[in-house]
Amino acid sequence: MNKFIAIVGSNSNKSTNRELLKYMKKRFQSAAEIELVEIKNLPIYKKSADKYVPQEALDIANKIEAADGVIIATPEYDHSIPAVLSSALAWLSYGIHPFVDKPVMITGASYGSLGSSRAQAQLRQILDSPELKARIMPSSEFLLGHSLQAFDENGDLKDEKIIKQLDGLFQDFLDFVNISKQLNNANEINKQKAKEFSWDKD
Amino acid sequence: MKLVGIAGSIADQSYNRTLLNFMSKHCKGVADIEVLDINQVPMFSQDDDQTNSSVIQKLSNKIKSADGVIIATPEHNHTVPAALKNVIEWLSYEIHPLDGKPVMIVGASYHTQGSSRAQLHLRQILEAPGVNAVVLPGNEFLLGNVKTAFDDNGDLKDQRTIDFLDTTLQKFIKFAKVINMIDADDYEKEDLSATGKTDTTVEGVDMDDPDWLNKAAKKVNAVEGNTYVKLDSGLLTVNQLNYMLKTTPIELTYVDENNQFIYYNRFLPTEKMLAKRTPEQVGDSLTTVHPGKERVIKHVKQVIHMLRSGKTDLVSMPVPGGDSDHHVMHYYKAMHDEEGNYKGVNEWAVDLKPIVNEYLKQTGQMLVPDPNAKVDATSGASKKPDAPVDATASASKEETEKEVKPEVDATSSASKH
Ligand SMILES: Cc1cc2nc3c(=O)[nH]c(=O)nc-3n(C[C@@H](O)[C@@H](O)[C@H](O)COP(=O)(O)O)c2cc1C
Ligand SMILES: Cc1cc2nc3c(=O)[nH]c(=O)nc-3n(C[C@H](O)[C@H](O)[C@H](O)COP(=O)(O)O)c2cc1C
Repeated sequence: MNKFIAIVGSNSNKSTNRELLKYMKKRFQSAAEIELVEIKNLPIYKKSADKYVPQEALDIANKIEAADGVIIATPEYDHSIPAVLSSALAWLSYGIHPFVDKPVMITGASYGSLGSSRAQAQLRQILDSPELKARIMPSSEFLLGHSLQAFDENGDLKDEKIIKQLDGLFQDFLDFVNISKQLNNANEINKQKAKEFSWDKD
Repeated sequence: MKLVGIAGSIADQSYNRTLLNFMSKHCKGVADIEVLDINQVPMFSQDDDQTNSSVIQKLSNKIKSADGVIIATPEHNHTVPAALKNVIEWLSYEIHPLDGKPVMIVGASYHTQGSSRAQLHLRQILEAPGVNAVVLPGNEFLLGNVKTAFDDNGDLKDQRTIDFLDTTLQKFIKFAKVINMIDADDYEKEDLSATGKTDTTVEGVDMDDPDWLNKAAKKVNAVEGNTYVKLDSGLLTVNQLNYMLKTTPIELTYVDENNQFIYYNRFLPTEKMLAKRTPEQVGDSLTTVHPGKERVIKHVKQVIHMLRSGKTDLVSMPVPGGDSDHHVMHYYKAMHDEEGNYKGVNEWAVDLKPIVNEYLKQTGQMLVPDPNAKVDATSGASKKPDAPVDATASASKEETEKEVKPEVDATSSASKH
């Protein structure tokens, strides 16, 4: 069975994005093992002369390395991803490259009707940068709008249409992950390239 | 023009900070750029709201009182650094100091492409409704190959780059002026009736009561006499404080941030004062202090608004009606707490002429008119509203204006002409 790491892109205790990932973990338990990962204890990303990366970030990196894919659920703060998520991604590309060629499914929830669409658009560009170079599932978008009203008291999504869409996208992601596994001939080289890539040289 | 600069990096070494420092140095005279520090800002979290912490409040107050903001952004993973986004989140959650504020984006990066993607993201972020900044359109300033761009003094080496930066900044200054005009009438909102309150306002005592001082003091159990008061650089009793203030040869007045007149250092009897105050006025709102004087009220509002909004820290103006023996100046200085919150006006009136006379006597010199002098020779440095005002005196000096001898014209106020 595929094993996925699900990153909660929020440090809020009552995050609806966490609720969404918990729901996915439960709903798809027969198809995949999903482990939720929190980023809320990571410090703000800071460059240092010795390229120090906190142990907690290294632990997350190891989990991502070992996983078949990553699901990210992002809130939208000021039309972009929260600083806490952006910071986590900076740590996870600072001398370490767990995301290279890793299949990623982007989801997001917001209180308004747009469901974090602008944050997701920026997140795609970020994950495509040279030191992350993730394999983002193409032409798919899961936007959960009005997220405060979206779940019932059991933490289940209420809207059948949305559930159907999520089911479909998750099935696509499973297929994408499987195809991805066959497209790994260049992975060694890609990892090496990310490692050798340095913003410090021209 | 007063600008603040934010470098979007918390790294010990940052070229974007170098760039802002260079701009601040290079643009002296055109704009006054203060570079702010974001290193101590904690991670944004809705569960641990630190909006009221002193780091955030300081940043917010600096931004609020600036005419515009320059943000220098590095690029990390094709976006703005988390540390910069983090600051913006705090400034768009419970408070919105960037709302309506003119912002110019610049950026330095190691590459030729120079932070273009980060700048684009930053524009989108600044235009989100919770931030609502007014970003200078176009005019991208991208400093690529930044590692070789500066000399050892932190100055940009390439003259063409400097020229382009100058042009961009000139455009921004014009842009900021236009945007800030939208708020030009804001002073009307100054509430001189002091109907609001602050954390030090004494409630339950009528401000206009002639016995306000005693009643309010009783209400708050104010200390007096030989009780010690710890000050930031000394320990005095209330009596000692009075001894000192009452022998300070300058008329001091305290108007709090709620526009209530709460103190003056009565070192002269009312009739001898330059700006007359009476003990019964203490506690009055500024409206009560100036009954029915529309013109004065308008000018008081303008002065206080400039001080409260941080457009200036000091307003100074000569009081009309000076003669060869007197040149009375009024000064209004904004007071702030540690975090930069406005705390009211420290107003003082002083006759400069005896001081000048003393100086002339000691140095064996005399005054002669300057044939090239412009009229407003003495009040030049700080901003002032249309006409002189006295924020607290009940009788504005304009009513007792006397004829001025021609030879003092050069040092008298513009309003005489
Ligand atoms: C500083 C700040 C800025 C926000 N900006 C946006 C925004 O631009 N768009 C939006 O849909 N929601 C915005 N929100 C509300 C989001 O918290 C909410 O929509 C979020 O996506 C819910 O995620 P969560 O339940 O996982 O915390 C903002 C919230 C904060 C605290
Ligand atoms: C993890 C990491 C990611 C980076 N990503 C980018 C990038 O996407 N684009 C870019 O132009 N520079 C990138 N850089 C290098 C930056 O050009 C450089 O750190 C910064 O913009 C220079 O500004 P500063 O000296 O003010 O930090 C990255 C550096 C690091 C350490």
